[in-house]
Amino acid sequence: MNRHAPPAVRPVVTGVGVLSAAGDGPAALTEAVVHGKAAFAAVTRFDVSARRTVRAALLPEPPPLADAVLAAVGQACRRAGLAPAAAGTGPPVLLALHSDLRTRATVASVAAGTAAAWGAPGVTRAYTGACVAAATAVADAAALVAAGRHPRVLVAAGHLVEPGVFAAFDAGRALARDGELRPFSTGRTGTLLGDAAAAVLVEAEPEAERRGAPVLARLAGWARTGDAHHVCRPEPEGEGVTRAVRAALRRAAIAPDEVGYVNANGTGSPMSDLAEAKALHRVFGAHTARLPVSSSKAVHGHALEASALLELVVTIGALTESLLPVNAGWLGPDPQIGLDLVLDGPRAARPRYALTLNSAFGGANTALLVAAP
Amino acid sequence: MTVLRILAEASWPDPDAREPEPLPPLPGFAASSFNPLVAETAERCLRARHGAAPAPGRTALLLASSGGDRATARAIDEAAADTGRRMPPLLFFQSNPNAVLGHIAARWGLTGPVVAISPAQAPPPGRVPQDALDLAELLLTDGDADQVLVIAAEQADSTGSTGSTDGTDDADGPHGTDRAVALLVTAV
Repeated sequence: MNRHAPPAVRPVVTGVGVLSAAGDGPAALTEAVVHGKAAFAAVTRFDVSARRTVRAALLPEPPPLADAVLAAVGQACRRAGLAPAAAGTGPPVLLALHSDLRTRATVASVAAGTAAAWGAPGVTRAYTGACVAAATAVADAAALVAAGRHPRVLVAAGHLVEPGVFAAFDAGRALARDGELRPFSTGRTGTLLGDAAAAVLVEAEPEAERRGAPVLARLAGWARTGDAHHVCRPEPEGEGVTRAVRAALRRAAIAPDEVGYVNANGTGSPMSDLAEAKALHRVFGAHTARLPVSSSKAVHGHALEASALLELVVTIGALTESLLPVNAGWLGPDPQIGLDLVLDGPRAARPRYALTLNSAFGGANTALLVAAP
Repeated sequence: MTVLRILAEASWPDPDAREPEPLPPLPGFAASSFNPLVAETAERCLRARHGAAPAPGRTALLLASSGGDRATARAIDEAAADTGRRMPPLLFFQSNPNAVLGHIAARWGLTGPVVAISPAQAPPPGRVPQDALDLAELLLTDGDADQVLVIAAEQADSTGSTGSTDGTDDADGPHGTDRAVALLVTAV
């Protein structure tokens, strides 16, 4: 039995919105990633004098987190040409946030804002599952739309770098000692955190056609898997990532060599990047040599619970503009990696399908397969 | 709409226990009872169904907690605010609810999705939020899992003044008792 059959109703993306250290809106983000303009700087938002690493990619004057999320939601809904709905009849909202003492207050503010502006019935569900939180929300939105349960679902996410998480990641030696995020590169020493708020409107293709809404991209496949390996380390052979990618391809009913770009998880962690590279080799075989790969985290940083939505916006931007993001921070090849990394830009390409991958604590993995409309 | 079949269930505290039991410590996790609570409740549910690890098939882990791990969140905030104090490294991975799910998945060989959610409102004590059951059903019908272990956990004093959405409360009160319930479900 094919457990990942292509959906009867195709989910599409009709609106995207984003705030990141690269600037306000998708165009600024695309401009930064295709030129490899890294947005990292010394942290001045809070005291980092006791930390090993002192850099991150931050919004210069960040609004409160809920306001940042609502700004991204506004961009996405306006881009989609969505008219405000009557109270309670707007799209369900799936929201990815870090779990802390402020989560519920942020959820309440986003619920009030989306209800007032777009008629949303509040926040339907908050996802707190680390670096796959937003991708899991997108997969669930696609599943809901594909199953005909909702004509459209709004997915939003936000993460602003705060002293507590920064200190915890620093104490866990997860942050790059040299202050540069160098995915898949020799000499990579860890990740760097970044601010982001992002939103996408996932819609049933017939509904988008009926409204005359322009389709930015299709969500052709998606999958969520677990490593069953460790509390926070990835399974070293990338077996869980492999299963996620294969399931996403199966759902889209396409062959591996039809994929033309991978926006990798690529956190800059020595262990995690290697596991992900092994997974790509396992899935794509000989095609790996001709498959452009990059991690745009090297430009916008790791936005934790919001990272997957930020990177989905990056991937849709790459398909729309026919320009691939640069894998910045590069020092030289790691002989164990062996990927066709996008090392300079802008690099023109017209992939029909692009993958965006994410992995997280707990061995969670997600794969989103995005198709040009 | 697919109907869920419950294969096993467990709860903490054990409703049949005569005396309050201490939660077994969970190696590698400190500063909070949240992770031992989730791990022990999941362990009891999986043991009730499978006896011993590993569990067959693709089982997803779905943790629902309205309050989340407030003790860990508080410990992180306090350690960060005191620049003269060292941040305990264990709080790095413990900063997210996925970590304890990784422990359960590794121990039982659970290869399905790993998901953590925060329902908008806490359910009545010892109950699984309807939203978590809806999501479990979606994961099953969407093809990524054959079974879902749903764990609903709330730390003592983490759910506000009443601990429930319908005004119910029990003799222990929600303030002094960690509570969790786990259901292993599949599609009918």
